[in-house]
Amino acid sequence: MRKSHPVRRVVLATAATVSAVVLLLSLKPSSDPGGAEAAGAVPQQTSAAQESPQGGAAAAGQTTVTGDAAQTQYGAVQVRLTVSGGKITKAEAVQAPSGGTSTQKTELAVPRLNQAAVARSSADIDSVSGATYTSTGYKQSLQSALDKVKAAQAAGASQEAGAGTSPGAGTSPGAGASPGAGAAQVRTLTGAAAQTQYGPVQVRITVSGGKITKAEAVQAPSGGTSTQKTELAVPKLNQAAVARSSADIDSVSGATYTSTGYKQSLQSALDQAGG
Amino acid sequence: MTTTLAGGRAARRQTMRRIRPRRSPATVLLLVVWAGAAAVLGLWWNNTPSIADDTSRILNAGRITGLLAGYLMALVVLQMARVPALERRVGSDRVARWHAMSGRYTVSLVVAHVFLTMWGYALQGGRTVSDVVRQTVDSVNQLPDMGKAAIGTGLLFLIALISVGGIRRRLPYDAWYHVHLLTYAAVFLTFWHQISTGNDFAVEPVAKTFWYGLYGVVTALVLWYRILTPIRLNLRHRMRVEAVIEETPGIVSVLIGGRKLHRMGAQAGQFFRWRFLAPGMRFSSHPYSLSAAPRPGMLRITVKAIGDHSARLRELTPGTRVWAEGPYGALTAQRRSRGKVLLVAGGVGITPMRALFETLPGAAGDITLLYRANTTQDLALWDELAAIAEDRGARLMYAVNSPDGERPDISADRLRQKLPDIEQHDVFMCGPAGFAQSVYEALRGAGVPARRIHHESFEM
Repeated sequence: MRKSHPVRRVVLATAATVSAVVLLLSLKPSSDPGGAEAAGAVPQQTSAAQESPQGGAAAAGQTTVTGDAAQTQYGAVQVRLTVSGGKITKAEAVQAPSGGTSTQKTELAVPRLNQAAVARSSADIDSVSGATYTSTGYKQSLQSALDKVKAAQAAGASQEAGAGTSPGAGTSPGAGASPGAGAAQVRTLTGAAAQTQYGPVQVRITVSGGKITKAEAVQAPSGGTSTQKTELAVPKLNQAAVARSSADIDSVSGATYTSTGYKQSLQSALDQAGG
Repeated sequence: MTTTLAGGRAARRQTMRRIRPRRSPATVLLLVVWAGAAAVLGLWWNNTPSIADDTSRILNAGRITGLLAGYLMALVVLQMARVPALERRVGSDRVARWHAMSGRYTVSLVVAHVFLTMWGYALQGGRTVSDVVRQTVDSVNQLPDMGKAAIGTGLLFLIALISVGGIRRRLPYDAWYHVHLLTYAAVFLTFWHQISTGNDFAVEPVAKTFWYGLYGVVTALVLWYRILTPIRLNLRHRMRVEAVIEETPGIVSVLIGGRKLHRMGAQAGQFFRWRFLAPGMRFSSHPYSLSAAPRPGMLRITVKAIGDHSARLRELTPGTRVWAEGPYGALTAQRRSRGKVLLVAGGVGITPMRALFETLPGAAGDITLLYRANTTQDLALWDELAAIAEDRGARLMYAVNSPDGERPDISADRLRQKLPDIEQHDVFMCGPAGFAQSVYEALRGAGVPARRIHHESFEM
């Protein structure tokens, strides 16, 4: 029974806790190291496509499909799916309500809904309590994306024989070697990540018939006001990229760094399309 | 009783077995607890790719403190689940001190978690730190399970408040205890927001399973050891008061009869929490040590009248039903590591020492009891102690104040003079904190290593 020193104990416990928390926080990088990971994922997809036996059609390649935006009371929800072998391998929300508590609810609900969508591979998933509107919108958009997958598969199957040599089909550069992949003529290209002061920006575009039919940011600065700026700028930049079908788009005022990064990454994606 | 083993090889073997000390699992348990904390921090680390600015720094500090608080909350409840490994091997007194310490720490983490998280949300929503209260109201209203969490947190703060030293001393023990039981409600209410709003549990199904597992195991242990085990014990043994005997002025012994009491597995040096089903005593249970080794049909406790409850014991009538929980406590023969033992008792701390004095295996001269009291009249159970000493050739010493009120000299020198080989002894000690502290220092001065001084104290 050593003598106890309550004051000393309190001081020690407080100091230890505070310094541990501060240490942990300061060890975290201020920008997302996932940039390298995301870039690394692309070749993986490629090799998967190459390994797949010829004529593997829609099932073999990975298809990325974006559902229709579903309007909710708090804003639009739009879901993008990556489908492989008839299963959802990845689900993400391209759009979701933001601002005030909506941001919190989105942060809360979307990861869960994404997870559920992958786990179930269907739109029959549970709503997240406390985020009912978002959940409902999510499920609608998810269902529409799944419908599109089905339609594409049906089309792919019927085209398989003829479209076998269609070049450039696939999900990423290099996948063109895999003939007969799902959505013919539509290519999805991911630009190199552009570093900005607030984190990397990386753009993925869907090109069809030489035009950008869709643009989206795979990576963008997040955390605090960065989240808000990203939410503000990225939809506008996406829209502009589709409208112009080039990287020559206007910056969004108030989000200059993000805009610049976006344009760089967009240009790199377009370069891939050209090459 | 162990006297049935007197003489022969069996007794020697028994003695040797008893002398091999069982290590307290405290170190291993603490390592497991730290590993768990590291895993919880690892979970946060894994799910946090980067921290961009001050707002996310604040939010992430809120997450870390929240995760740790959620983890510790389960352990704080676990410490009071009356798990035998904790109560009988680590020791009820030590576990109670852990509980108090980790409880205070957890409440501090909850305060930090609430403030940091609401501050972060306020900044994220374009507000400033002065809007924390408004932000809290908004979040409680709008986020799932936050209403429950707010009520639970309020309860936690109430419980923390009444446990603050000065306030607790002013409250009757029973009132304090029953409010303290609301901790279970508070933990239940705050649990759900951890699952439904916690980022880490949203994206990591493994983490969510682990969290449910942690709380599920703790709930199961509480139900089993705090509710089902006592019910079974009392249905099986059906204890009643047999007699109440006044030992000295202010100290009474209560004899408790029942069925197959030796089957309860109680050892000398342990205690039960007793609840006497008599008017006015039904709703409080108190820990009292056995003052004699359990016999098949009889248990005995000896209690000094210091509080309401202990004073009422003398009015118990034979036949009163008794509800007991236990046995608890680690101050038993298993702690012994040497052949020679010195027992030190201060006042009514004699009760567990009396039971050990009778039953600790040992040859003549191995066992010594030093009994400290104010006057010779206060030496409760003296006749019994003298008879035991006589019977087994043990030494019995007492130290009382001199007639002019001067305290007896219990110093390192005096101890060594009385017991020249004192550093060869294991020491078991029970008494008021001040007494125990001064004897502890004297013993250390006399050369007894700290690991051989076994002491139980219920003062925080």
